[in-house]
Amino acid sequence: MARPAHPHAMQPARPGRTRTAPPMQPDQFPFQGRYRAYTLFDLTGAVYLAMGFVMLRVVWALGDGSFAWQALLDAFKSPVWIAFHGLALVCVLFVGARFFRLFPKAQPPRIGPLKPPPKMVIYAMLYAVWVVVTCVFVMILGGGVFP
Amino acid sequence: MSTAAKKTLVVTRFDPDRDSAPRTQSYQIPVQDDWMVLDALNYIKDEVDGTLSHRWSCRMAVCGSCGMMVNGEPRLTCKDPLRQYGETVVVAPLANFPVVRDLVIEMDGFLDKLKSVKPWIVRAKELAAEAGPVRQSPEQLDEFKQFSMCINCMLCYAACPVVANEPDFLGPAAIALGHRYNVDSRDEGARERNQIFRGEGTVFSCSYANECSEVCPKHVDPAAAVNQAKFNAVIDWATGLVLPRGGRQ
Repeated sequence: MARPAHPHAMQPARPGRTRTAPPMQPDQFPFQGRYRAYTLFDLTGAVYLAMGFVMLRVVWALGDGSFAWQALLDAFKSPVWIAFHGLALVCVLFVGARFFRLFPKAQPPRIGPLKPPPKMVIYAMLYAVWVVVTCVFVMILGGGVFP
Repeated sequence: MSTAAKKTLVVTRFDPDRDSAPRTQSYQIPVQDDWMVLDALNYIKDEVDGTLSHRWSCRMAVCGSCGMMVNGEPRLTCKDPLRQYGETVVVAPLANFPVVRDLVIEMDGFLDKLKSVKPWIVRAKELAAEAGPVRQSPEQLDEFKQFSMCINCMLCYAACPVVANEPDFLGPAAIALGHRYNVDSRDEGARERNQIFRGEGTVFSCSYANECSEVCPKHVDPAAAVNQAKFNAVIDWATGLVLPRGGRQ
């Protein structure tokens, strides 16, 4: 069953003489058919918000000294935290893949005299940068850069 | 021509003089295998119920008049084969638009938005006719040709979740047409349009759902145009900040 759209959606600046029925959203919006992926994409924002609070907690623990830091690391070993981090990883992969799929066509046809490379090259470059940045972060967090 | 099959069309009806809200009405009709959804609606109009109102004109996916929701999807009914649907086909007016009557939507809101992006060639000084045609290279044509294929059918508006919730949003087709002129080598109005594009409820309201491009019957790819327009609007703004006289000649 379709839900009403915003009552002023696509209304003319000057109302016509005929009474109109209010605009309705597409039947499938927000959780069915073509809108499912888009809605899930938007919902990942809630996970990132939660992750932001977790990061604040991590910084707080760092400020409280080594005992608090170790306690937090121990807490992260619980199944609930592992599940949360797993969910966050899935969200990041989903959003990254969706963004990379849509990114090439958002490129302007040319910047000055330069034309963007073919889509496949852009895809390859995006994923390569992603892998490299991920490896750098893993090395930093694993103590490989700042032991 | 093969005959025989029957289908039930569940059609939205709304008479502004009598109905407080839209309702549905079912019509069971004989259909031909080669019919489009529009043919079935025309059959109902001609043979069953002359009070049914719907827009159509060219029957060849050029005029953009016959856009409707078919089984919940925005479709150009003149190029939407009826045989791909089951026994029951639900036909409703385009989503996100006020409904004038039955399957007819109010188009003036769209036309207001379209006009606001100046979808025509703007030149500081008109060229004299004696100067002859303005020539473009194939590369220059390639930059905007895809976006100029828009037939204003408004299916992209019916698919866009932002249009449904942000009344000020210019919408995919209007931005695509504005962008089409911005990247046309003959045009000199990009600065004006980019100022419009940077305003409230314009290109930056787009959250890149990409559904406008998915439903476009002419493969215009309005989502690409909207997101390229974002980039150009930012570049134009930055250029205005750093260059003397805002980059104006």
